[in-house]
Amino acid sequence: MITVTPNNAFNMNEKLDLNNLSPEQTALSIDGLNLYYGDKQALNDISMSIPKGQVTAFIGPSGCGKSTLLRCINRMNDLVDSCKIEGEINLHGQNIYDKNVDVASLRRKVGMVFQRPNPFPKSIYENVVYGLRIAGENNRRVLDEAVEKSLRSAALWDEVKDRLDESALGLSGGQQQRLVIARAVAIQPEVILLDEPTSALDPISTLTIEELINDLKKNYTVVIVTHNMQQAARVSDQTAFMYMGDLIEYSDTNTLFTTPTKKKTEDYITGRYG
Amino acid sequence: MNAWFKSGSPWIWLSAGGVGISLLSVIGLLWLIASHGLSYFWPSSIYEFKLVDSQGQRTTVIGEIYDRERIPAVQLEHTDIVLPEGTESVERLLIKTGNRELVSLDFRWLLTPQITSRSTPEDIAVIERRTNGNFYGRIEKLIENGKEVDISRLDELMERANELQAQINELQKKNIGAINYQIEKLRLSERKHQLKETYTAKIEEKLTAEQKALEEDYRKLEEQLMQLREEVSKDQLVVSAMDGQLVTINFEHILNVHFNNRLNLLDKVGVFFSQIGGFIIDDPREANTEGGVFPAIFGTVLMVLLMTVIVSPFGVVAAIYLHEYAGNNALTRVLRIAVINLAGVPSIVYGVFGLGFFVYILGGSIDQLFYPETLPSPTFGTPGVLWSAITLAILTLPVVIVSTEEGLSRIPSSMRLGSLALGATKAETLWRIILPIASPAIMTGIILAIARAAGEVAPLMLVGVVKMAPNLPLDGNFPYLHLDRKFMHLGFHIYDVGFQSPNVEAARPLVYATALLLVTIIVGLNMTAVSIRNKLREKYKTLEH
Repeated sequence: MITVTPNNAFNMNEKLDLNNLSPEQTALSIDGLNLYYGDKQALNDISMSIPKGQVTAFIGPSGCGKSTLLRCINRMNDLVDSCKIEGEINLHGQNIYDKNVDVASLRRKVGMVFQRPNPFPKSIYENVVYGLRIAGENNRRVLDEAVEKSLRSAALWDEVKDRLDESALGLSGGQQQRLVIARAVAIQPEVILLDEPTSALDPISTLTIEELINDLKKNYTVVIVTHNMQQAARVSDQTAFMYMGDLIEYSDTNTLFTTPTKKKTEDYITGRYG
Repeated sequence: MNAWFKSGSPWIWLSAGGVGISLLSVIGLLWLIASHGLSYFWPSSIYEFKLVDSQGQRTTVIGEIYDRERIPAVQLEHTDIVLPEGTESVERLLIKTGNRELVSLDFRWLLTPQITSRSTPEDIAVIERRTNGNFYGRIEKLIENGKEVDISRLDELMERANELQAQINELQKKNIGAINYQIEKLRLSERKHQLKETYTAKIEEKLTAEQKALEEDYRKLEEQLMQLREEVSKDQLVVSAMDGQLVTINFEHILNVHFNNRLNLLDKVGVFFSQIGGFIIDDPREANTEGGVFPAIFGTVLMVLLMTVIVSPFGVVAAIYLHEYAGNNALTRVLRIAVINLAGVPSIVYGVFGLGFFVYILGGSIDQLFYPETLPSPTFGTPGVLWSAITLAILTLPVVIVSTEEGLSRIPSSMRLGSLALGATKAETLWRIILPIASPAIMTGIILAIARAAGEVAPLMLVGVVKMAPNLPLDGNFPYLHLDRKFMHLGFHIYDVGFQSPNVEAARPLVYATALLLVTIIVGLNMTAVSIRNKLREKYKTLEH
């Protein structure tokens, strides 16, 4: 039987009481979220608070709704026609599903990185500054600075600083994913959502990105969806386990992986089902 | 045998065969047009035939051999021509004899049996003229300024005459043309003031003064023109035709003189290229049966460019609406069906629609609103280059829409999602990411639109093309691009020269030459668009997921 032992190198924080976070400690709170694709219900009454400045992971078997939940946080599910949402997600105390919320500015505060790297067919420089240009920033000096800063924080600067004008499509998979992260970081969001960011990458790139995630939490709140339990154990401070649209258990990573309270959780992390 | 069938090889051979046949057909077509068309420019030998007809009369015929045929001997049975026993067929030659003022037809068939001798004397000259076509004959005298001079001065005098003619042309077209334009504008301005009832004495004074100044300029230019004309007419050529008649040709009417039989291969190639150059650059003469086709080239290219400028934004925007914004409902389905059906409408119907709606209704309203001073003579309420471009734009719209939609659907949604996740709106995503990636597909649509539109002639006949346009739609007078003017078109030119010209034999090689030119221009436009598309493809290559 394979057991998962969390690697304490990354999560050395004191335990937070996830049910009683103060407003300053909370990045997002999800209250009674129900999501329907047509008639089928995909998320059942999810409620949780995501702490600021920490890495929270969503794990669970395929089809449990973790990616769906992630996409709710930056309202990417709005793009699906048949999707209906009830409940609230509060960012800074304001419900993002409120009628007069500007979705574009929400997405600037909540960035997202997808499973497969999707750099635009432009130069590396233009990729990174894309979000800034959209926000109206066109001052060359400001953009140059932002490019260097974000590429450094994505651990990509040294590799590409001499070829910023070359096409982004010429980079390797791992580099492209780091570029995409740099692109997301360049607009200085508050929350970064990562949807299985390393599942398409080789082990070395995966390691680089996991180190990156640990750096990112200094400045941003990170929420990561992963089907790789070991990755969740390595990288995250809190973990939420989901099953068939329900939030089964949510606690700090150490506890969830060593002494889970629910049987379903234990069955999952011990590999009884995948 | 069965194994060969199963392996799929027969299908490969079949498709290869199909491609091969298509290629051969295209090459064959081009070869046919090229050989018939280009032979028009090659300076051929001039023959002198001595004939004896059935009555024993001797005649001399000088001219170019245009064609040869074999006709069955039975066709000659009713004539009094005697043929040796047992001849089944007789060859006859089509000779271009020119000299239209002396003979009724400048082409003539000669029966080979009647020819007693054929030679290519070196002293026969081909004189290209401004009116009345070519003259074939021998130069008897060269007269400069009233005095007879040596024939060696011919080249010098020819050059002088050409220079003077160039000056005359420029004077007429540019300077006098500009003055006429200004005078017309003054008249319109006067009429405008009268209509708006702002015609005061002061304005009348101003306009009259301007008119006087222009008329003065006109008079001066006219004087200059007459002087130049006099200069040119001072020299003449006296030539003898095939029957010995003497004709005096004034240098004013001569374009150039060639001694075809004296030319060696290199000279002939030189004349060949200069004739092709003339074909492309000169204006037409003699009711489009001679001269060049420059106004038609200009009109065709200008109209195709205008059409492209009009159809591209509308086609792309319509495709974007259908692909990105339209819901999945009945209205969208109806729209798509409408777009597809647009492609099936016969082009002449577009011409009728363009005439009724654009020319009469829209153009008429524009005239009423903006150009009341020119009425009853219409400005936009009459066929013109603008209405032609718009009509053809509607004709090619479905092609652009379908190509663009195809290109949009091929863009991976990860691009869209990536842009939206960074806080871009749908419109920003479209403009910054989607359209650039779709640009090769848009170019494909434009290429197909150009290919279709450049060849359409039927609708144009109703909405803007004329046999002979006095001026180009683009000239030096403000507003430089005159969208209300009628224009000439290569496709229509082919039709006009091939079927409406008074002398069909003379015109036939010109038809081929014009067709070759039209094909070349369309291929040129397509190649340009294809190279632009290739550059865009390189730039916006996305990794296939």
